[in-house]
Amino acid sequence: MNSEAHTNSKTRKNSEARKNSEAQMDPVEYTLRKRLPRKLPKRRNDVYVNMKTDFRAQLARCQKLLEGGGHREICVHGLGLAINRAINIALQLQASSQGALQLAANTSTVELVDDLEPEDPDEAGEPMTRTRNNSAIHIKVFYPDAQ
Amino acid sequence: MCPVYQSQAYNNAGQPGGVNNVSRPVKPAPLPVPPPALKLGQEGFKKVCRTEEDSPCPFPGLSSGVLEMRVKEGSKIRNLMGFAMARMQGEKGVSGVNSSGGGLRQVVFTGSGRAVTKTITCAEIMKRKVGCLHQLTKLRYKVVKEVWESTEGGTSEMTVHRTVPSISILLSKDPLDPQEPGYQPPETLSALWEEREGTEPATASKRSLGPLQYTSFPDCKRVCLGEGASVLPPH
Repeated sequence: MNSEAHTNSKTRKNSEARKNSEAQMDPVEYTLRKRLPRKLPKRRNDVYVNMKTDFRAQLARCQKLLEGGGHREICVHGLGLAINRAINIALQLQASSQGALQLAANTSTVELVDDLEPEDPDEAGEPMTRTRNNSAIHIKVFYPDAQ
Repeated sequence: MCPVYQSQAYNNAGQPGGVNNVSRPVKPAPLPVPPPALKLGQEGFKKVCRTEEDSPCPFPGLSSGVLEMRVKEGSKIRNLMGFAMARMQGEKGVSGVNSSGGGLRQVVFTGSGRAVTKTITCAEIMKRKVGCLHQLTKLRYKVVKEVWESTEGGTSEMTVHRTVPSISILLSKDPLDPQEPGYQPPETLSALWEEREGTEPATASKRSLGPLQYTSFPDCKRVCLGEGASVLPPH
């Protein structure tokens, strides 16, 4: 009980301090809501890697496309934190093919939009949007053409 | 000598793909997927040192004077970019933008493990600021040697060889070989997708229902909706 009250007052103090320091630019508290990344092409051989799905499931999906699906090439895409996982998947695919597969990686910047919604509807805060950039990777995993 | 245990270190980045092979000679990653790794970091061991084993330059034929930026997990982007931009634009450029005059012709950004994202971000910032840069991206596994020491007294130590994904990005003011896998011509930020779609009929011949495939990707949607729900309580 005591400790809870203590932490409460502490957090209140903290938020007050923050409010004071940023009083000029951000008087109203906002809720940050992240929008979806913009739509990207989705072909049968595109794999968008995320951090929620099990790694092995995503790897198996790629293997199935290359072996069972009869695709000569697939594209593995990763955004932000998922870049690491996309690279891992591509390197695992390459290693398991005993050198038959090649990788060609491209990088890009993706613009993301965040919505800022005023927390308290009584206050005069306008909903705002804010754009930011995040890095992305696109790895083409393919069998080189054997002439 | 310190004993070497046959056990596995938990890849603390939470990357299931990081393949752990412990105190064995360096070899390609075991396949297909590493077994679930043991949690080691929390149980009385602390990491004493971490060394990346030397690996050959991923860009053969590169002149020796090329600036190599090694991006680490804790590197600050402003420090990296401040240094690299000054070298690329030439030291004499005190005022004004002289992107073409003076400075180095090429720079390589490398990073592994959790620094990969930062490495890409650095390269992307530089491409945007300098402009007209040819890019070559290479991916590979890198072997990292870690020494862990017991914190509960005693002299037990273990050496762990881990393979982590690493990326090397070469940015060049001079043209590079467009046939090389991983090549990216200048200014492809937005053209990337259009170009891909143009080549699509040749690669994906099985495509039957066109319009449906360009709707948003379900996995993406699920992720973001979940996030939104946790941030903003329902009305």
